[in-house]
Amino acid sequence: MSKYEVILDTLPAEGDRVEILFRKAGDGFIQVEYGHEQRVELLDSFRILAADAKIKAANINGLIETLPSLRCNMIHFDPSVISPMQIIDKIKDIEESIAGVDDMVIDSRIITLPIAFEDSQTKKAVELYLKQVRPDAPNCEDGYNLDYMAQCNGCTVDDIKKMLLTTDWYNSGCGFWPGGGFFWPMDPRCKMIVPKYNPPRIWTPEGAVGIGGACLFTYTTATGGGYQLFGRTIPTFQFSMKHPQFKDGPFLYRPSGDRIRFVEASEKEILDIYDHVHDKTDYVYDIKESQIVVKDYLNFLAQPEVVNGATEFAEKQRIGSQTAPKL
Amino acid sequence: MIKVVNGGIEILVEDWPGRLGYMGLGMAAAGAMDNLALQLGNKIVGNELTDAGLEIAGGYCEFEFVEDGVIALTGADMSPTLNDEPMPMWEAVAVKVGDHLKLSHFGEKGFRSYLIPAGGVDVEKYLGSRSTCIFGNYGGFEGRKLAKDDIVKVFKKDITGIAGKKLNPKYMPDYENDWELRTIPGPNSAPDYVTEEGMNYLFSHSFKISHNANRAAYRLEEVDGSMFWAREDGGKGGSHPSNIVDHGYNIRGGLNITGNTPSVLVADGPTLGGFCCVAQVINADLWKIGQGIPARDKMHFKFTTLEEATEARKEREQMFEAADLIV
Repeated sequence: MSKYEVILDTLPAEGDRVEILFRKAGDGFIQVEYGHEQRVELLDSFRILAADAKIKAANINGLIETLPSLRCNMIHFDPSVISPMQIIDKIKDIEESIAGVDDMVIDSRIITLPIAFEDSQTKKAVELYLKQVRPDAPNCEDGYNLDYMAQCNGCTVDDIKKMLLTTDWYNSGCGFWPGGGFFWPMDPRCKMIVPKYNPPRIWTPEGAVGIGGACLFTYTTATGGGYQLFGRTIPTFQFSMKHPQFKDGPFLYRPSGDRIRFVEASEKEILDIYDHVHDKTDYVYDIKESQIVVKDYLNFLAQPEVVNGATEFAEKQRIGSQTAPKL
Repeated sequence: MIKVVNGGIEILVEDWPGRLGYMGLGMAAAGAMDNLALQLGNKIVGNELTDAGLEIAGGYCEFEFVEDGVIALTGADMSPTLNDEPMPMWEAVAVKVGDHLKLSHFGEKGFRSYLIPAGGVDVEKYLGSRSTCIFGNYGGFEGRKLAKDDIVKVFKKDITGIAGKKLNPKYMPDYENDWELRTIPGPNSAPDYVTEEGMNYLFSHSFKISHNANRAAYRLEEVDGSMFWAREDGGKGGSHPSNIVDHGYNIRGGLNITGNTPSVLVADGPTLGGFCCVAQVINADLWKIGQGIPARDKMHFKFTTLEEATEARKEREQMFEAADLIV
């Protein structure tokens, strides 16, 4: 066996569970990987989330934190308190206690966020990009990204907006930037796919909503970035923690499992909400405690109109991605 | 209180172990790049190991003491002077109101010095730590590096009998120009991600540190991708073999490869992303990374087992407890 082999242990595939691999990741980290295939499958995330909730609730002495993502969970622990094999055994027990994914019910809040399409701030980000970074950027040809996103997906700008507003977006795990979540469309008929900026932007305003690949991101603070922009939503993060929504931490999203849904608003309404979040601190966020019943979701995915709609859209997308300029 | 007369390149308030527990919300731990120098400094002046000090990268700075106290200067030797007289390092030195401490710049070995006042630097904790995350502009002193005329507060402490205490020379860390980092392979290692030949190369070559090395990532010279990667592409993760479906990163210390460029992800690095992490620098050697001089020093990775890494952690803890550490 190679000395570079890092798989410390495995849990065999069983029922709808794929094989689980426990990978060495240093002297304080173990990566729990679900399956061998690089796939983008929300059901993997549901399982990871169900296990993650139990890992957190188990009060494992020596566990520092977990970092779930779409098909992995990174476990951070103190090896002077608990050995890697001990922590793996605990996770295996937890995994064995989880019934099939069909029977899972996952806590998942629904957060409704107003969005203004093509608002002046995200327009400014695109303008700056053309001026400072890439004047001939094909994704900014008409001064914004929506036309390019439509081209890539073989549809119209109205279709793009409609897809953003129609589906719920599921957070497989926060990361990369403080408070930022990685959101995926739950309705496969709305699974837009776009390339990322090349090279990336230097500036993106707080609240910008963008998409790269099939993954949506709401920019929590002003920063660089590479996702194609739709417009601007309200604050999803507050460093100062002044607003009551942020009294326990600067984050709006939980580490994973939240769903967001967008409603269209005017830029004036959005700016007014910024004022009521950051200055007057009296904006009331629309957040509902809710659950994903996986069985119901699987039934939704199996409906003929969903299956057919997704196939039709994938075909449009295939043609669009061939004709749209590469970045 | 310490007044900044000249802020030099980058002076930051940092502590150790930094801001743990927020990786799943996108916040890296931040913390001192050279935790060993910071913590030995804390020991010299009789502080707690978790107290905060000033991390001075590169040098070219000057301070004026606004009140009497005791300080220690550790880390890289930047030819420090106190009132224009050479000042000893790794030793508790009494300072009086009006004294001036000057640091020249990094020299033969090491890139970061630490100024540790007896009592520790007094800034408010943000999410459990006084460390600055300079990439996100939060924590530490107003979320930023120190500038001319800033006044840094110091916690009150009885300083009787501290001046003159020194680090026992037998515990003095070794500074190098080709830093040896004990490293554990994984999670993305041979045979499934990287070739055996690629891993052999990784564990035998000395990598030059890029000029683009900072508190988020220490970038290194490129590897030869045609020999290094064991796969053609990243599947759903992307077209390059370094791509992977986004996963949590094993930071601090993760050896991440973007395209064919390896980077050691450190204090302020991303917590999650779409590139392979082929190895991790062990916890006991993290301190060396930030002492590497950008565009000049090299680093090489020494193959290490989990057992050796755990042993090294224990040795470090025992050293801090040793009766003859400070003389």
